[in-house]
This record gives sequence, C-alpha cells and structure tokens, in this order.
Amino acid sequence: MTGVRTPTAQDALDAVARRRAATTALSRDAERIAAACRDVAVRFARGGRLLTFGNGPAAADAAHLAVEFVHPVIVGKRALPALSLVADPAVVTGLARRAGTADTVAASLRAHARPEDVAIGLSADGDCADVAHGLAEARDRGLLTVALVGGDGGAVGALPGLDHVLRVCSPDPAVVRELHVTIYHVLWELVHVFLEHPGALPLAAAR
Amino acid sequence: MSGVEALYPFLYPEEDDGADDDAPARVLAQVVASTREKVDEIAALREEVVAAHAEALAACAAAMAHSLAGGGRLFAFGNGGSSTDAQALAALFALPTADDPRSWPATALAADVATLTALANDVAFAVVFSRPIAAAGRPGDVAVALSTSGGSANVLRGLAEARRRGLVTVGLAGYDGGAMAEPGVVDHLFVMPSSSVHRIQEAQTTVYQVLAELTRRALG
Repeated sequence: MTGVRTPTAQDALDAVARRRAATTALSRDAERIAAACRDVAVRFARGGRLLTFGNGPAAADAAHLAVEFVHPVIVGKRALPALSLVADPAVVTGLARRAGTADTVAASLRAHARPEDVAIGLSADGDCADVAHGLAEARDRGLLTVALVGGDGGAVGALPGLDHVLRVCSPDPAVVRELHVTIYHVLWELVHVFLEHPGALPLAAAR
Repeated sequence: MSGVEALYPFLYPEEDDGADDDAPARVLAQVVASTREKVDEIAALREEVVAAHAEALAACAAAMAHSLAGGGRLFAFGNGGSSTDAQALAALFALPTADDPRSWPATALAADVATLTALANDVAFAVVFSRPIAAAGRPGDVAVALSTSGGSANVLRGLAEARRRGLVTVGLAGYDGGAMAEPGVVDHLFVMPSSSVHRIQEAQTTVYQVLAELTRRALG
C-alpha cells in the first residue's frame, strides 16, 4: 500500500521508554493520591455520590471510573454510587446545543450535584473548557473536587480552590492518560480501604 | 481470610480502630505505601509486555495501517471497563491529533446502546458484538477485542465472526490469555501476564495507545 511507512520494534520500545520518567514521578505523588482517596471516602461515608467527566478518550475514562465503583471488580466489595455525566449522547449533545460545548458539564452538574457529592474531572492537558467549568461549578456548590490533569495543568490546574489536583508530569496525552488509569484504579481500591476503617476517616472535619 | 484481608493484612489485627488515635496516620501511611507498590507493578508490567511484544506491535500496527489506508474501518469491543477502553481506542483513531488532522473511521460497538440492548434483550448477550460485525464488517476492516480474562463469550464470538468475514483481528487479554490464546482465535494477540484486573487494564491501555500511535505514524 502506498503511503504506509512500516513501523519497527524500536518504535514500540521508544514509546515505552517515553513513559518511564512520568511513572517515577507519579510514585513521588503517592501522598497526594492517598489524601484524595481519604477525602473521597469521607464523602461516600456521608452519603455522597461520585460524578465524573472528561472529553474524548477521557470521556471513556469517566465511564470507566464510574463503573469501578458501581460494579466492583473484587467480589464482596460494596457497590458505591457513581455516575458519568458524559455517557449519554442525547443529553451531552442536547446540552452542547443549548448551553454551548464549554458548559455541558456545568449544566449537568447543576441538575445532578448535591453538596455532599464528589466531582472528578479528567483532562490530559488541562485545557478542556467544559471540564474546567464543571469543576468550578462543583467547587462553588460545595462538592469535593478532584482534577486529574497532565502537562502544565492548563486551565484546570490554574483554577483556584480545587481540593485535589493530581498532575501527571508529561506533555504526551497518551502517557498522561495511562497514568490517569492507574490513579483512578488506585483511587477506587484505596477508598475502600478507608471505608472499611472508619476510625481512619476524619468524619467530623469540615470538608 | 477474605480477599481484602489478604491484600491489606496490616489493617486487620485491631478489631476497633475507632478507639485508636493513631489510626488515621497509620492507615494513610499504609495507603501511601500501597500506592507506590501499585505504580511500581504497572511500570514493570508495561516494560515486560512491550519488550516481549515489540516486533508483534510493529507488525500489528503495519497491518492496521494497511487496512485503514485501503479504506477499512475499525471496530473495537469489550465489556465493562474494557468497553470504555474500546471507546478510547476508537476515539484515538476518530479524533484528529496534533500530528495528523484526519479522522479515521473507528467505532466502539458497545457505544451504540440501541443495538446493544436490542440484541441483548431479543437474542442473547453473547451476540451483541458478533451481529454488528456480521452486519457491517468487510474484508480489510479491523476488529480489536479486549477481555482481561480472554474468556468473555460475546468477545470471542465477535472475533470468530470477524475472522469468518476476513477482518484483521487483534486481541488484548490478561492472565494467560484464556480462550483468546487458543490457536486460530485471533491474528494479533497481546497477553498481559498479570493476575490483577487493574494492572492488566493499565498494560492493555499502553498496548492499544502504542498501537494507535504507530499506526497513525505509519499512515502519515
């Protein structure tokens, strides 16, 4: 076939080498990830729900994160309430038409969110306007806000007043996404560790 | 000992850590350590998988690029978390990138909830991927199947239908590959040798993202 350059094994090895530094850096962020897990567990313990959102491949991750909680992979773990705000194309495209693409998530949050809930927004470069607006809306409504970003954090990383901003140190959106998957898998598993040990949760704290 | 106790034995000696003033700090410290262990695990698994499959990844990307360059379409499918990976994979081809402004014809079968629920309700869940492939698949298209166990009945039937119709078939699985690793099931097989569903999914994410990157570069 004309126009196709044959890939080599070295291309694959180079791709995996590009992931090493960001993975090592993520390990150094373990305290920040653990603190986010603890705070999410507090919200679940108070009856809150998890609301997730992202664009493109991150919309798939928002659905993945929600199903982790709703249908636990480890038999015997408790199901917890979680919902992707970007999983229903009838709603998302309808809101995009009415409210504009930058405000689809914020509009959904205004309908769904309660102050005890958790909002998790995913954006590989942090420059998704709808994710930024959604997190700002969630923050203003008293939800616990968690942003998963990469690169320099972009517009999402620059938002004041978010509770947890977990940033993967890579400019490559594919590398960022892979480490976001690891972060939210860890988040799901360790939220359960905290919930099974309520003595470890600061339930009387303000947030 | 339950599965959870086996994973976190340090948490279970005390029956009532509600009366333990050190519990918050102790549990937090253990969770931090656990996070680091999981990050180390996926780092090692990712290296192992790509090193073992580097040639196969290049060959698979070449086959996918030839299919797409020849006008083929890509169908991706899986269940649960793997259905979201199928969506992400399709999006990696359907969305323009900084290096390649083209949209390639790629779709995740489970994203069509009308077809999915109609087939599941009227026929059987085992046919939710094979029927759409039978309807739309053509020789020269690509079918990418994801199953952490390698044993999902509907995924295996989707692959069988794809092979019958002359599609290029790609399979991602975990553990030992399960039924997907049997001879004659799939053209390009990638197995993530782990027993953790989460680490398997993370390694699968690297595999399909590297495949997408190499394929799009080959098309460039």
